[in-house]
Amino acid sequence: MTTPALEALPRELLVVEGARQIRDGDLVIVGTGLPLLAATLAQRTHAPGAKLVIESGVMFPRVVPTPVSVVDPRLMHGASRHGSLFEALGGLVQRGLVRTGFLGGAQVDEYGNINSTWVPRSNGERIRLPGSGGANDIASHCRQVVVLTDHERRRFPRRCDYVTSPGFLSGPGARAEAGLPPLAVKVVTDLCVMEAEDTALAVTALMPGATERAVLDNTGFVPEFSPSLTTVAPPAPEDLRLLREELDPACVYFPERKSR
Amino acid sequence: MTATTGKVTGAAEAVARLVTPGAVVGMGGQNINRCPMALVHEVIRQGIGELTVVGCNLSLPLDMLVAAGLVARTEQGTGNLERYGTLFAWRRAVERGEVGVGDHSHLAMATRFAAGALGLPYLPTRSLLGTDLLADMVAAGYARQDVDPWSGVPVVLLKAMIPDVAIIHANRADISGNVVIEGVTSHEVDMVRAARATIVSAEEIVPEGTFADRPEQVTIPEAYVSAVVEQPFGAFPTSVYRAYDFAESEIREYQALGRAGDEELRRWLTANVHAGTDFDAFLTARDPEGSLRARLTDQMRSLV
Repeated sequence: MTTPALEALPRELLVVEGARQIRDGDLVIVGTGLPLLAATLAQRTHAPGAKLVIESGVMFPRVVPTPVSVVDPRLMHGASRHGSLFEALGGLVQRGLVRTGFLGGAQVDEYGNINSTWVPRSNGERIRLPGSGGANDIASHCRQVVVLTDHERRRFPRRCDYVTSPGFLSGPGARAEAGLPPLAVKVVTDLCVMEAEDTALAVTALMPGATERAVLDNTGFVPEFSPSLTTVAPPAPEDLRLLREELDPACVYFPERKSR
Repeated sequence: MTATTGKVTGAAEAVARLVTPGAVVGMGGQNINRCPMALVHEVIRQGIGELTVVGCNLSLPLDMLVAAGLVARTEQGTGNLERYGTLFAWRRAVERGEVGVGDHSHLAMATRFAAGALGLPYLPTRSLLGTDLLADMVAAGYARQDVDPWSGVPVVLLKAMIPDVAIIHANRADISGNVVIEGVTSHEVDMVRAARATIVSAEEIVPEGTFADRPEQVTIPEAYVSAVVEQPFGAFPTSVYRAYDFAESEIREYQALGRAGDEELRRWLTANVHAGTDFDAFLTARDPEGSLRARLTDQMRSLV
């Protein structure tokens, strides 16, 4: 089958760059949506030995398209075990066996802390969000957290209104002081890649076509730009083909692709 | 109930006997999978209120209970339906201050159930450290920060969670209350073992001794089960692994009403839960010919 020679959509770039954060042989904990597409893309390309863990207790599934829930039978397909939350988040994640976790959230702050509990309205009232789920556990115990998100100013405050899941808390050294293991945070947006290890998030790469100005205009804190700032490599044609034809053929997570 | 039927009873009788006003109810299921919908419909029909609903992910059954005005408080890891959005009735009730909320991480809640399941007052975790989530849990009185007496590293002690009654839906149970769950078990096994009483609805009730040749495959032994209720499609519109897929159209319809408002959800409850006498009547009303249920069964067969 031939793939129409489309430019990669911004959110396809997110998925492809997300996939690149996974090393062959990693244990990766993911939910659904773009992170799951990134993880399964990694499995189909450079990381065939990467194994997925799902918080509901699914271990090492062979995912069929396109799961919409952590308990979707499409996500439970071909697993080596169907266990429990306690086994997945306790026995694997807290136990230290899962290197990489993908997380989302309403806010990610300068120190990589994540808020998925509540955000304030302009009148000071609170908008209730879903809550932590496994996110706090993943951010507490994995060695690397990857966040895939649209780059909007309201999503990147200097400080989260509420810290659900720990990045580097109040700054360098705070994580160790709290009793948490070391962590690397990587935030991939439609504008850039930001990274930190016990520091403030710094921009290490720009998405193709994005500018430093656009990043600064859409970020609620002032990130440093790496002296070795690079541009994210565009997806290989095979990456796009896999995403479009095999991993999400019905465009469940890419409604914008369906309309093209 | 007779001696030969063991713990087998109807949903109405089990709920009337074991779910009391003001109870702490441990909710089975997760997201779109194996939620105890038949039992929750029965709680709504009987109007048993002032409930504290606890679980890891609370989804559709919680939202219906909130929409029915029966929930005083939730203690949970998440309240949402993932792809299908937030729990609109719950969110509005929490924002208005009508439903109290106790946030946890999923591992924190699973650990609280594990403590209850072992008869321990608490268990430690190394999650939560340094966060506002921990501060809230400490303030609420079910978490304390401490140190490991051996290494001195920080730990969080989590108070045992002991539901008054747990309600779950399973693939199969025998008449003595031995339960087999297929697929993931989320938080449910420890929740049931911690609870003071448990009602299990199951797709199928099987005779005594059915599991005798494979006792290691019993997910929950009868020691923890108070009542078993046979209810085919008892998790509808959520899924049961190896039995049927979730009914996306039903979940989308409920969520569209939830987004519209509380009054829309109350009308849905009146028309769909209160109107019928039992869950079979609800299933027949939603799917008169059974074609939807047949399709969901086929869909699941194609996936396992």
